[in-house]
Amino acid sequence: MAPAVTPIDLISRVNREVERSLLRARNGVRYVTTQPTVGATPKDVVWKRDKAELWRYRSDAPIRYDPPLVIVHSLVSRSYVFDLRPGNSTVEFLLGQGFDVFLLDFGSPDDLDADNTLETYVDEYLPRAIAAVQAETGSDDVTVAGYCLGGVLAALYAAGYEDAPVRNLMLWATPFDFSEMGVMVAAVREGRLDADELIDHTGNVPADALYSGFFMQAPTKQVAQYATLLENLWNDEFVDGYQAMAQWSREQVPFPGAAFRQVVDEIVRRNVLMTGRMRLGGRVIDLENVSANVLCAFAENDNVVPVTATEPGTQLVGDPARREELRLGGGHVTFATGRHAFKHTLPALAEWIAAHSDELKPPKER
Amino acid sequence: MAKEKPLWLDTIVRLERAVGEQVESFVRSDTYFDLVTQANRARARMTETVEGWSKEWLHLFNLPANTDIREMQEQLARMERRLVSLAKEIADLEEDGKRPTARRRAPVKKQPPPPAE
Repeated sequence: MAPAVTPIDLISRVNREVERSLLRARNGVRYVTTQPTVGATPKDVVWKRDKAELWRYRSDAPIRYDPPLVIVHSLVSRSYVFDLRPGNSTVEFLLGQGFDVFLLDFGSPDDLDADNTLETYVDEYLPRAIAAVQAETGSDDVTVAGYCLGGVLAALYAAGYEDAPVRNLMLWATPFDFSEMGVMVAAVREGRLDADELIDHTGNVPADALYSGFFMQAPTKQVAQYATLLENLWNDEFVDGYQAMAQWSREQVPFPGAAFRQVVDEIVRRNVLMTGRMRLGGRVIDLENVSANVLCAFAENDNVVPVTATEPGTQLVGDPARREELRLGGGHVTFATGRHAFKHTLPALAEWIAAHSDELKPPKER
Repeated sequence: MAKEKPLWLDTIVRLERAVGEQVESFVRSDTYFDLVTQANRARARMTETVEGWSKEWLHLFNLPANTDIREMQEQLARMERRLVSLAKEIADLEEDGKRPTARRRAPVKKQPPPPAE
């Protein structure tokens, strides 16, 4: 039997609801009139080429580990997902753990970038950016963490250069088996749409088309999300997190046309990554040639890049004796935000990096 | 927070899932993707027809059409890309000493290319 509600309980509930309704009204106005503050961790641009920029993050926490960590972002979304907001930021967490954190951001392509091919990223930007990290830190090598398609680029780079200074290669939610990518690639697979039919007059795939791909994964989900937002609108922290994440989900970036044609023809239709080899820049890159320690990290509930698409990475990249896998809870963004991120995902990733790095004694001031 | 989920929210979430699962199953079907493909092609054909028709009329009055402007923008972008590419080549030559030291793996001639499907 439910306990009887006393008048005091009732008054207290009414008070709470009135208070929350006022907060809901205030936060509702704030939600529609303001933009969330994202990417707030202070940083310096240490290298730049075209729209690609390499950022080094600042922090008061000393550097406890060498080599530095370079996060290579994907080509289809904004990199601020790794620095979503203060207190909910992968970058901030990793800085706090004593890593020297860099992020390679490819910017938002426009018609000047339409000719960017996968070679542009693998052979032009990545080697130079990594060299810039070495010059900036004086380290002999780096830990590279590639997220989503950024993981494919990082793996191709690490395998494509015999003396690539990569001590550790982390592949976060990185797809290899594109026959398992489901709804994300279905429109261009099996002779339906050709790559050129999705490329607009700027020479790129418009951001809207990419957003549609993500949206169509669960078209009605937003109804439940908005209802949950309405219920929690009184909670400042919830609203801030929701607003930042909603903005990130909406803000896709255009995909350079030339690279998109390669991805569709080679990676999606021929599924070449599953052969372990890919022809790029006039040579065949063998993914097994990666000499670094490799960690394939994937999320069990990832709807964007399912486990079945990422898992083959554990059989394809690097030396079998130096490969490890990390199964995580959460979804595609568990590397950046969400319930699992700060409790499980990021501590596990930090632990792996630390175990494969040199501990600096004494720690180095930034 | 889960304990406090009110009835109305729970109902909406359940309803959304009940409808959402059907919708998701449809948007993952071949029928849906075939429809999207056909719709996309039909839209492109229609745009092309309308643009072709309006272009003829605008040219009759010696006015530029949107397609003319777009073609010019595309030409300019191509030229700009070429200029940027040349500028980068020159800058790289000038900075030869500072270029990355990592050596690219030589082409592996003996390896067969990845098999085609």
